[in-house]
Amino acid sequence: MDVILAAVGDAFTWQALLAIVVGTWAGIIIGGLPGLGSVVGLTIFLPFTFGLDVITSMALLIGVYCGSVYGGSITAILINTPGTPQSAATTFDGYPMTQQGRVDEALGWATFASFFGGVLSCVLLIFCAPQLAKFAVNFGSIEVFALVCLAMLCIVGISRGSLLKGLLCGMMGFFFSMVGSDPITGADRFTFGTQALSSGLDLIPVVVGAFALSEIFVRFSARDDEATVIPEARLRFPGLREIGRRSIELLRGSLIGSFVGALPGTGAAAAAFISYATAQKLSPRRAQLGKGEPDGIIASESSNNAVTGSAFIPTLALGIPGDVVTAMMMGAMVIHGITPGVRLMADQAQTVYALFVVLIIVNVVMLILSKPSIGLFRYLFKLPLGFVMAGIVMFSFIGAASVRGNPLDLVVAALTGILAYALRLGGYPLAPLVIGMVLGPALESSLRRGLLISRGDFLSFFTHSGIATTLFALIGLFLVWTLWSSLAQWRANVASRRQASARVAE
Amino acid sequence: MLASLIHPRLWLALTLLAAGIGLSVVAWNGPADAMLMPRVVLAIWCAMALTLTIIEALRHAPSPRSSLSPLPLLMAAVLLAAMTMDTLGFLLPALVLVALTLWLFRVRRTLPLLVGTALIGGGLWFLFHHVLLIRLPAMLNSGVI
Repeated sequence: MDVILAAVGDAFTWQALLAIVVGTWAGIIIGGLPGLGSVVGLTIFLPFTFGLDVITSMALLIGVYCGSVYGGSITAILINTPGTPQSAATTFDGYPMTQQGRVDEALGWATFASFFGGVLSCVLLIFCAPQLAKFAVNFGSIEVFALVCLAMLCIVGISRGSLLKGLLCGMMGFFFSMVGSDPITGADRFTFGTQALSSGLDLIPVVVGAFALSEIFVRFSARDDEATVIPEARLRFPGLREIGRRSIELLRGSLIGSFVGALPGTGAAAAAFISYATAQKLSPRRAQLGKGEPDGIIASESSNNAVTGSAFIPTLALGIPGDVVTAMMMGAMVIHGITPGVRLMADQAQTVYALFVVLIIVNVVMLILSKPSIGLFRYLFKLPLGFVMAGIVMFSFIGAASVRGNPLDLVVAALTGILAYALRLGGYPLAPLVIGMVLGPALESSLRRGLLISRGDFLSFFTHSGIATTLFALIGLFLVWTLWSSLAQWRANVASRRQASARVAE
Repeated sequence: MLASLIHPRLWLALTLLAAGIGLSVVAWNGPADAMLMPRVVLAIWCAMALTLTIIEALRHAPSPRSSLSPLPLLMAAVLLAAMTMDTLGFLLPALVLVALTLWLFRVRRTLPLLVGTALIGGGLWFLFHHVLLIRLPAMLNSGVI
């Protein structure tokens, strides 16, 4: 208890609080600009931490990280362009709500769900970090494969009405993720002798092209249409009764995010899609998902922000960074004398608890800063459409060019933009393309490692462990459920058509 | 007759099918272990694209009336800017692209066009490249522009 109190004292210094405010606000703005995400934000702020003490510097970086994950949802809701890949799932219901004139409600739910998910994962981090770390170790390749397969079912739900097109886009995304060196053998795949393609296609240029650039093309082709006017950004927090009505969804999304974040190599984007897929099956308002239902925003935002806390579990407790962002945070910790690993909790417990307290403060500050930040976007989007679109083009290009310093990323973003525009015109859903690309690498590497472990026997996957069996059983159950409900829907459609034709005949 | 049969959605499905077949040929000529997953994925891709092509061919969707739109110009400008940034650096193609985007979105008065291009194109480049030190593609080895 003394350690926790001392940690609270460490986190509540004016330097740390100032760093949190600056970092979180900058993170929200950076996250909200298409193409610029957590990595760019951390890259900008990392040099500023060199002269600061451990807690202040980590407070600045954690603020940028959490703020950017939330900030991505603002443009996802306002202009159908997720600021970060983590917020791609927020567009499914966020943008339809904006089109229905419910932008204030959508932003309110995104903000509250982000806050709720972030705080819940911090509380879990404080009380359950060692236990979660132990449980996460039980997730080997086969269990991760089963989990990713479960998340892939999300494509079926998102592609309602155009399942074939959704599956085709999912395969395209999966294919994009396979360009470059093979993760197991290192052999080049689809590089066509180009050195720049050996490192593969990065997610950010593809997301920038698929959402930001294609949106510009769509708005350009409809620039005389009234619907292309960007709505005024307002925020209305949900009332207590509304929160109570959707508390299960908030809790479910946050727990999924907290759990997925604790697994190394998954990340916030995967967590958001897994959570959305679960909401499609379990939400009482699932029929409305994808048409502008707050449950979709809650599923995505509570889970992706819950990852910000739980991603520290493998990083701090095991010394394994889950993704690029946590790898950068781990690097910053090492620079400041914190060595993540199994001995960290024993050797530097006070510092670790201070970081947990900082995480909670960051989420509270994020809630307070949400209104002024959205106000800033309101002023930005009040500019004539041409200036907003030119700004989005520039931020998309800066984001794509800066992510790896690979000039090919710019060409990939431009080509994806043109392809995505054609797909949108043809009625193909774009979300499966991103889902395929996000989950593809984890699916492939876990499958192939699993096959190596089981000596090529795929059937043994189903009985490999209790966790794997449970997850595969859930997949089977979801498939049967989807098939059954589709059949029921088809029968209902046929019956209503017959009734209508009978009425006409009468 | 043929023009009315091949409508844009059918063209798109056919293009995706052709791309899938082409990539499948590459996958089947590659190393078996590294190409195992791509072969499976591309086989599903081709099956889906073929089914969609048949559906679109049978649907007889009316061809949209063609009209001259400068959208291909914007697309070409975006692609060209992306391709030339490796050699010309970020600034010059970005300035041209921003100016063209503003013009196409009907910002036609000289002063707003120039100020917008300078602030959005040049200003953001200067902020990221020189102030925040996020290195963008440069024309000169020194990285000044």
